[in-house]
Amino acid sequence: MLPVASLLILVPLIFAAVTFLTKTKGQAAGLGFTGSLATLGLAIYAYLNFESSTAAMQFFESMTWIPSLGVNYSVGIDGISMPLILLNAIVIPLLILYSWKEDRESPNRFYGLILTMEAAVIGVFVALDFVVFYIFWELTLIPLFFMVNIWGGEKRAHASYKFFIYTHVASLIMLLGIFGLFYASWQQTGIPTFGIRELIAQFQFFESGLLKDAIFLSIIFGFLAKLPTFPFHSWLPDAYTEAPTAGSVLFILLKIGGYGLFRISLPMLPNTGNPELMIMMLGMLGSFSILYGALVALRQKDLKRMIAYSSLSHMGYVILGAAGLVTLSVSGAMFQQFSHGLIMSILFMSAGAIQTSTGTRIINDLGGLAKKMPKLTVVMMVGFMASLGLPGLTGFIAEFLVLAFSYARLPGFVLIALLVIVITAAYHLWAMQRAMFGVYNEKLGDIRDINSMQVFSMAAIALLVLYFGLNPSPVLNMMISNSEAIVSLAAALGV
Amino acid sequence: MVKTALEEFAFLIPILPALAFVITFFFGKKMPAGGAIFPILAIAGSFVISFMITLRMLGNPEEVISQSHSWFAVLNFGVLIDPLAAVMLSMVSFVSLLIHIYAVSYMSHDPGKPRYFAETALFTAAMLSLVLSDNILQFFVSWELVGLCSYLLIGFWFEKPSAAAAAKKAFLTTRVGDVMFLTGIIILTSDLLKLAGGFQDGTYLLRFDEIFSYIPQLSALQANIFGFEISHLTIITLLFFGGAIGKSGQFPLHVWLPDAMEGPTTVSALIHAATMVTAGVYLVARTFPMFIAAPDSLMVVAYLGGFTALFAGTMGIVMNDLKRVLAYSTISQLGYMMLGLGLGSVIGLEAVGVSIFHLINHAFFKALLFLCAGSVIHAVGTQDMRELGGVGKVMPITAVTMTIAALSLAGFGIPGTLIGTSGFFSKDPIIEAAYIFGEHSNNWIPYLFSIAAAFLTSAYIFRLIFMTFTGKPRSNYHGHESPAIMTVPLAILALFALVFGGLTRTGFMAFLEETFTNSFVNLNIGNLAGIGRNELIGTTGNEPLLILWLPLIVALAGLAIAFLIYYLRVVKLGPLASMKNPIYRLLYKRYYQHEIYTEFLSLGIVYGVIAFLTQVIDVIIDSIVEAFGIITVGVSEELRKVQTGVVQNYATAVIAGVGLLIILVKLIMEVI
Amino acid sequence: MIPLVFYLGLSALLFSIGIYGVMTHKNGIRMIMCIELMLNSANLNLVAFSSYTGTLNGQVFAIFSIALAAAEAAVGFAIFMAIYRMHDKINLDELKILRW
Repeated sequence: MLPVASLLILVPLIFAAVTFLTKTKGQAAGLGFTGSLATLGLAIYAYLNFESSTAAMQFFESMTWIPSLGVNYSVGIDGISMPLILLNAIVIPLLILYSWKEDRESPNRFYGLILTMEAAVIGVFVALDFVVFYIFWELTLIPLFFMVNIWGGEKRAHASYKFFIYTHVASLIMLLGIFGLFYASWQQTGIPTFGIRELIAQFQFFESGLLKDAIFLSIIFGFLAKLPTFPFHSWLPDAYTEAPTAGSVLFILLKIGGYGLFRISLPMLPNTGNPELMIMMLGMLGSFSILYGALVALRQKDLKRMIAYSSLSHMGYVILGAAGLVTLSVSGAMFQQFSHGLIMSILFMSAGAIQTSTGTRIINDLGGLAKKMPKLTVVMMVGFMASLGLPGLTGFIAEFLVLAFSYARLPGFVLIALLVIVITAAYHLWAMQRAMFGVYNEKLGDIRDINSMQVFSMAAIALLVLYFGLNPSPVLNMMISNSEAIVSLAAALGV
Repeated sequence: MVKTALEEFAFLIPILPALAFVITFFFGKKMPAGGAIFPILAIAGSFVISFMITLRMLGNPEEVISQSHSWFAVLNFGVLIDPLAAVMLSMVSFVSLLIHIYAVSYMSHDPGKPRYFAETALFTAAMLSLVLSDNILQFFVSWELVGLCSYLLIGFWFEKPSAAAAAKKAFLTTRVGDVMFLTGIIILTSDLLKLAGGFQDGTYLLRFDEIFSYIPQLSALQANIFGFEISHLTIITLLFFGGAIGKSGQFPLHVWLPDAMEGPTTVSALIHAATMVTAGVYLVARTFPMFIAAPDSLMVVAYLGGFTALFAGTMGIVMNDLKRVLAYSTISQLGYMMLGLGLGSVIGLEAVGVSIFHLINHAFFKALLFLCAGSVIHAVGTQDMRELGGVGKVMPITAVTMTIAALSLAGFGIPGTLIGTSGFFSKDPIIEAAYIFGEHSNNWIPYLFSIAAAFLTSAYIFRLIFMTFTGKPRSNYHGHESPAIMTVPLAILALFALVFGGLTRTGFMAFLEETFTNSFVNLNIGNLAGIGRNELIGTTGNEPLLILWLPLIVALAGLAIAFLIYYLRVVKLGPLASMKNPIYRLLYKRYYQHEIYTEFLSLGIVYGVIAFLTQVIDVIIDSIVEAFGIITVGVSEELRKVQTGVVQNYATAVIAGVGLLIILVKLIMEVI
Repeated sequence: MIPLVFYLGLSALLFSIGIYGVMTHKNGIRMIMCIELMLNSANLNLVAFSSYTGTLNGQVFAIFSIALAAAEAAVGFAIFMAIYRMHDKINLDELKILRW
């Protein structure tokens, strides 16, 4: 049995290091692609050997690192992390293909950073020790920062610093929470440990309700800011919009906020001082994000910015489903993470392609692109339809599960989210109508459709969106076993 | 073993057209006629299977085909073909087949043919899947796919801004209804879970039989909304009806349907006859056991249906666009179907029979009307009736078939005999049922609506016939009769529009009533109605003679008025039909719906006010975040001036610091 | 034998003179000299305590400290020489290139 969990971090990291050393664009892209393919192979190997019906940790590895503080290098994969690892492993090679023909300076750094990012994100997903978790968590900042800062748009400097500082501060608050957890547990048991599962198990024995609430809130703050959710979202539109297409997609693949929510916060939630209040708070944040993101998106003039806000709106479902705290609503929330990663990748790739072709992203300056870019129109249509929750595509499965099964606990918030469905449809169709349909705007000159590699990568993602929309079980079943475990914890406490 | 073989093929009914979609979409360009042959063959296959199942079921209605497979979690997909579904399947595939054949010629000049045929194939597939779904979720999935296809097809000529706008409007307006439908499903799911006490192995949560078995408990669940005690069942059914309002173009969500004319005429025919608008009526019919246990919902259905029938008729009478008149006529006829269903609180299950019977007949004559209109437009090149006239001379087949369709639509026939058009045999029972409803519940408004709408129907459709086919040409056009591939479907549909109703009227309704009693779930409708305190008396057939003849009389009156004004032209409308007449203007402007919906509600309130305010909030939140940065920079800008660069200052600071430390330590030591 | 307090008094006096010099003088050379004075006052303390307690630790420290002071003076004077060559002046309040 391969030590898959470690290899999933190591392989992209090594390839990243080598890619940094390359000289030409061909070498860099080729090496980057090989590395990401190797990672995909490992992920598929892990998936094939993965047992979906259990919530137990699989591919578990552990090594002592700093014994005096109880820090271990321990990694493993379960149903919460497996789909997200797959998501990253699938989209990153396609992303490299998508940007294959783009000309840019220092391609070695570009592809190296993409691979570093892959390693860091997978590192977060497999980490079972808070120290390892936090190291990879912060490591994700670096590639994203440089992505925006080097290859971004006009306001790239501002956007990159804002993103970095904002989420870094949130992470530091989360770190405080982790330390609180660590010390309180140390004091109680006399044995220091940073193991995620051990600390969460110990959490329920803390005596002070206030301490529990403080720890819970400070940790979840880090996740909520990363997710992001209203009102901690204001780094998102700038960063997503200013990033180059590949950077935007990497942001989309950065599913660590939601992952932390399921891995760490939800198991802790039933043991907090006032779980009902926490659930209400999460439900409110979720439904407000959904409503708010959609309303702001409705008025955006910039296509990419509109997509960024729609992403905010969609992430609201993750929180709402988590707050629903029923097996299927939590699974729906996890599925939303997976589905959102695929769908938004298509949307950002489409917006990127439009910008490359026409030189603008302002919706009103476009028009009638369907005539000149028929291939793009078809894949973009699939992406838009998936994003507005059309059944048969993944978005619907996630939204339906979240809404239908959160309703029992949070009826009011679910009704708000339901109202938003019309607004979501409105801004998607509005953008589609203005940008793609109608009379071709001759001012744009003679433009070219997307190249065959872009067609391939976008169509591949679109097919996945369709496939998992029709047959979500392969992914959903893993999530269901794990959400059952989370929910049964809560149910045992009568929450 | 023909019987088992048929069941095994049932799943192919929607799958065949779906496959045709894939093939035509990707390979249609290289095929002759844009690959139209695949959808035609596939839909023909679907029709054959559906028709054989229907034939078999006619003999023994209890032999329902029911297959379920797990989809995800506790939900499933499956096939359920009972009498109701069988009849719908046959109709949808049959009408769709004829329209597809007709379209081969109609669309022959369009470069986007492969896309057209692929999308219509998917459209048909989605509708077929909707009809035979055995659970409410698959129903909703197909329902949404139907919406998507209508969006794509209405916007088929996407380079035309009006087409792109109409497509968007259709999708968004029906989406409002869809959200209500989805909300209903979600409340239902939540309630069922509560009632069933969690998930149970071996049952699929949202299957229709599962839902129906919980009707009494659902009805017992009460919710308090603004001080009113309303049962959950009423809420759910009303929300379902909200979905039906959107899809079936009922007031107030009917605004998309007239605009949907921006697509090719064959698409309009598909939407209006076979594949889209009937979905709403079918939804109410499919979940009729729920409705019958919720009398308040049925009352809403009846009133809204009746009102829509009349309301759309008033607009149909002033439209000058050939297709728009037909569009309003569809809305009006759908209103009749809804009215028929809504009368279920008195006439019971017969409501389903009466309503679906009208749906089927309507499909025949409405498809015919649209295809005839398409034939005229195809030949003449305009659809403004003011520019037409005398088309009957150049297009005799079209003129005859369209007149047959008009007679059927207006419901001409002699009561008490077997003489009559299809429309007569299905529309009159609805009006009679409305009379019985009025007699029984002393609630005459639905009946008045239906009679008034019958008059308007006759008036506007013969206005269309006379303006288009008779008289002298009012503009220079060069018309010619359409080729056989177009006229043959017309003739077939005309035959059905003429005789289908008369031939099947006795068996048809009884057959449909078997859906819920003799087969499938074996519901005791009497008990369900008892939950809702309904009294089922059924139609008696003992109405006064005048009531039986009244629909024909008003239809004749409508015909006579149209004849006088538009054929003989002895009555001049003059100022009555000008913009100076406020009533005419109100009708012509379609009750200012565009202004109210688009400009006031969506643009003004949602887009202008709410979205604007949200954007302001967004700027405020962002400013708070940015303020942290600005404040930090500002403070450090000031603080760094402490670094004067003069060594003495530093030295002084160091020494002062040390002094302070000493004092502090001293103080602390003393305290301790 | 001279009591310890006299040594400490002298050392404090030297230290204060050194501080005064550092704070008031503008000439770099003088400042270095004042710093040397402060260092030496510390050395004086070390030696005094060493003799008072009868151990050698203090004297070892003092020798280290003298060596360090020599090195520091050498580096310091070298820097000032370099500055003088570049700017033709040695008044530190005019040399504020490192501020802010």
